[in-house]
Amino acid sequence: MRTVWVVLVGVGLLFGASWSAAGPAACALGVPAIKLGVQGVASGPHADYGRQIEMGAQLAVEEINAAGGILGCRLEMRFMDDENRPAVGVRNARFLVTEWGAHFLYGTDSSGVAMALGPVLRELDRIQFFTHAATHRLTEELVAQQKIKQIVRVSAPVYQDAVAAWLFRDRRDIRRWATIGADYEYGYATWAIFREQMRRLRPDVEFVGAAWAPFLTTDFSPHIAAVMATNPDGIIATPWAGEAVTLLRQALLQGVFDRIKVWFQAMGGSVDVLEGISQEVREGRFQGKLYATARYIHNWPNTETNRSFVSRFAKRWNRMPNYSAETTYSAVYITKAAVEKARSLQTDRVIAALQGMRIETPAGLRVFRSEDHQFVYAVPAGKVVWDPRYPIAVLGELKVFDPKDYWRWPPFRPLELSK
Amino acid sequence: MEVFAYQGLIGLSSAMYLWLVSAGLTIIFGVLGVLNFAHGSLFMLGAYLGYTLYGLVGVPFGLAVLGSMAVVALVGAGVERGLLRPLYGLDPSYQLLLTFGLVLFLDDLAKLVWGGVFRIPPIPGWLQGSVTLFGRPYPFYNLFLIAVGLSVGVGLWWLFDRTWWGRAVRATASDREMAAALGIRTPTVFSSVFMLGSALAALGGALSTPVRPVAPGIGAAMIVQAFIITVIGGLGNLRGAFAGSLLVGVLSSYGTLWFPEFELFFIFAIMAAVLLVRPQGLFAR
Amino acid sequence: MNDLARRWAAAGLLLALVLLPAVASRYVTYLVIHILLLALNAVGFNLLFGQTGLLSFGQAGFYAVGAYTCARILLAWPSLLPGVLGGTAAAAVAALLLGSLSVRHTRIYFAMLTLAFGMMIFSLAWKWRAVTGGDDGLVGIPRAPLELFGLVVALPTVERYYYVVLVAAVLAVALMHRVVHSPLGLALRAVRDSEVRAEHVGLNVRRLRLVAFTVAGAYAGLAGSLLPPLENTVTPPIAHWTASAEPVLATLLGGIRHFAGPLVGAFVLVVAKDVIVRFTVHWSLVLGAVVVALVLGFRGGLAGALEALTLRGSRVRPVSAAAGEEAR
Repeated sequence: MRTVWVVLVGVGLLFGASWSAAGPAACALGVPAIKLGVQGVASGPHADYGRQIEMGAQLAVEEINAAGGILGCRLEMRFMDDENRPAVGVRNARFLVTEWGAHFLYGTDSSGVAMALGPVLRELDRIQFFTHAATHRLTEELVAQQKIKQIVRVSAPVYQDAVAAWLFRDRRDIRRWATIGADYEYGYATWAIFREQMRRLRPDVEFVGAAWAPFLTTDFSPHIAAVMATNPDGIIATPWAGEAVTLLRQALLQGVFDRIKVWFQAMGGSVDVLEGISQEVREGRFQGKLYATARYIHNWPNTETNRSFVSRFAKRWNRMPNYSAETTYSAVYITKAAVEKARSLQTDRVIAALQGMRIETPAGLRVFRSEDHQFVYAVPAGKVVWDPRYPIAVLGELKVFDPKDYWRWPPFRPLELSK
Repeated sequence: MEVFAYQGLIGLSSAMYLWLVSAGLTIIFGVLGVLNFAHGSLFMLGAYLGYTLYGLVGVPFGLAVLGSMAVVALVGAGVERGLLRPLYGLDPSYQLLLTFGLVLFLDDLAKLVWGGVFRIPPIPGWLQGSVTLFGRPYPFYNLFLIAVGLSVGVGLWWLFDRTWWGRAVRATASDREMAAALGIRTPTVFSSVFMLGSALAALGGALSTPVRPVAPGIGAAMIVQAFIITVIGGLGNLRGAFAGSLLVGVLSSYGTLWFPEFELFFIFAIMAAVLLVRPQGLFAR
Repeated sequence: MNDLARRWAAAGLLLALVLLPAVASRYVTYLVIHILLLALNAVGFNLLFGQTGLLSFGQAGFYAVGAYTCARILLAWPSLLPGVLGGTAAAAVAALLLGSLSVRHTRIYFAMLTLAFGMMIFSLAWKWRAVTGGDDGLVGIPRAPLELFGLVVALPTVERYYYVVLVAAVLAVALMHRVVHSPLGLALRAVRDSEVRAEHVGLNVRRLRLVAFTVAGAYAGLAGSLLPPLENTVTPPIAHWTASAEPVLATLLGGIRHFAGPLVGAFVLVVAKDVIVRFTVHWSLVLGAVVVALVLGFRGGLAGALEALTLRGSRVRPVSAAAGEEAR
């Protein structure tokens, strides 16, 4: 008998927990506060990205609130860890929207989580501003094709990783390319788009080897050995965050940088990676052969907007902003611009207000692309160098390419993601 | 041919971590009859302690490794005496469940104490550099690992074969009651065996610090492979565990090169096949 | 607890569950669906563990077979019943096949064998990208309408889907109740208590174990099949052996020897995890400590604890958890 009483009481408690107390008076938009739900990876080797997403969002929220909010409405944010797992990301999204009352969602690092969230966003009818997840399929398939309008991406997608093709276009001495790839969506997409671009620019190039490392690999030595057995001139690598640091250090152990001409670390321009390899960069162990890009780097462009953002961020958090911080920060400001123009929080009105948006952000000018809800902007690629003006390694010898050249544009032809 | 040999050598050094963990696991099972789910967590603890001592505090590498082994051995002693001892004689399912609960606890405890951030400290100076083997540079650290693994193997053989303690352990393993009747203090034997197994796992963990990241998940990844190896080698069979570790380590390395899709499935299939056809292990006498 | 009180309790609980979506928030409804799925999984597992004495670490494999099969069916043929029935059937078949191999052993070897089989299924789910979507899993799975006897019921909201899951769960749990209280249940308990004696009485021990294994797998598969329409996505972690621990822990928490044990445990596990996660990320720490405490001190679980507090007798008396006559 008591067993069942416990259950009934527990169920009753659940009911009770779901009733929220009445809030303070509403603002111009008819709500006590505008709620922003933020998700990112906050555990495991990729934990820094969730933190940076949280830091970027919080800085924006604090600044906007200090300046009077959006149309007089205060901003409130809540961060949740999606553990890089689609099941958790979906559950968090449901919780944030249906239980906590989020008006807009932000974040998501993993392409897998993003793809799972897409249809759920349509069901919940809330816009998520994606600020890291890079797969082209999020925008090309889910938005352009399946018309899930609730998806907006503020960060540069996987097109950016393939800028390597443009960076080394004129290096006639690099003919054999191989990849040490992340064994999931992001890794396959990068390798596919890189090859697509490379074949256009340099038909003489060969793709000689590929080794795939799943998520949470701690020992890349067999992958490195397997790829080096094919004698590549250049290697493009997609494992990111802590795994990138591990991969590069283990590659140094096997003397990789004595033998290859170039190593392109796709997200090597990320702050946590640069921090992790600073010592080796300072000692010149990469022999000037390590190149990278990111989705934003703090030392470009040299505009007032960017410089002041970086200094405010560094002052607030005592760290350099990573790209996921900038993209999330900008996403919140984009929300502000759209809501102010729409004078509403309704999904359809806000999306209408995004059309044709051109907005100045720390990363530069971002332009909204209506066909797939992708914000277009330029990110440089460069060599990983030691610059004494900065406390950690940075990207130098920067080259900037026009997104019109190396991004994919509608109409989108489907891309074969073969390994 | 050279590619084949080099890839195998890479697998060989990876196998040494597996060997250290599996050795402890199989010894504990052979003597106590306990299948310790939490053995991977002990490996993880060894890695965290090694990282703390060597990477953060700056203790010389060798001392850091020994220090971490000592601490984890004590943890093992505590676990055996306090948590496992009440369960001897009961259905082994309870031991499995208890050690599983320990995994949840220890893995999260590591996250709590050390947090999410991790770095890889530099390899100690005297272990840096590489040797050219089969036309490619082979890290000296890998050779060091192989040397340690082999030494442990020899050391364990000597311990079990040539010392009084070893004989007491073997007696207890083969007939607990008889050994007790002969005056061997079985509780002490159990504790010391568990401590030895824990120390071996910690050794593996501490040795991984300069080359692999330290993170909460490394224990869970390790225990699955250790289970496979102890089954293939035969539960309680030390020589089998060594052979099994080499098999799994080298196969995984070749798997990355040639059949990455099926590698994992293949290894579990071997495990299942051994359990079905020859449960005493491939290398049983 | 006497029989009449039990019936009243069950009726009361059923009423509460039926009324839930009307009074609780959408998120709570969503959470209770997860409780029902875990309850299904756990109740099936306990047939194998509590009733037959076999500890399996491979339930997640059958859960995943159910989930992925249902997902692939729904992606090709968006109709709920074929998906769910197909998934359950596939899981039952898989359980039958793997069970026939597994029940040749007991105890540790059995547990390890189920672990190995479960992980084989995991490795397929993780690596066989063409069929299972690999690491990224299957996405965009529709919450297909329920089509029955010409009637088409769309399920756009979580609340509507909740009722589908509730009906399935109630039917399945009721069926399990009949099984446990039938001669089959008696036979399984005989096998659990003493294999030797059971054989001497003429019971086919291996066949009985296989029946229990298959039924447990089918229940896991049913729970798994009900997942994709809810979440629209299926990913490999559901097949990992750490996921196999969920029904084990739920049963342990709730009480192995009581029929309601897995149900109580499922409720506690899901709610506790959800609540604790809002305050701290370290719910595993708490859970691990609770498991250790329960195994050491309290093998009757929560249901056993509550039962022990009451003075009333019961029809299915809790048996002492110690193995008793069977030596290690």
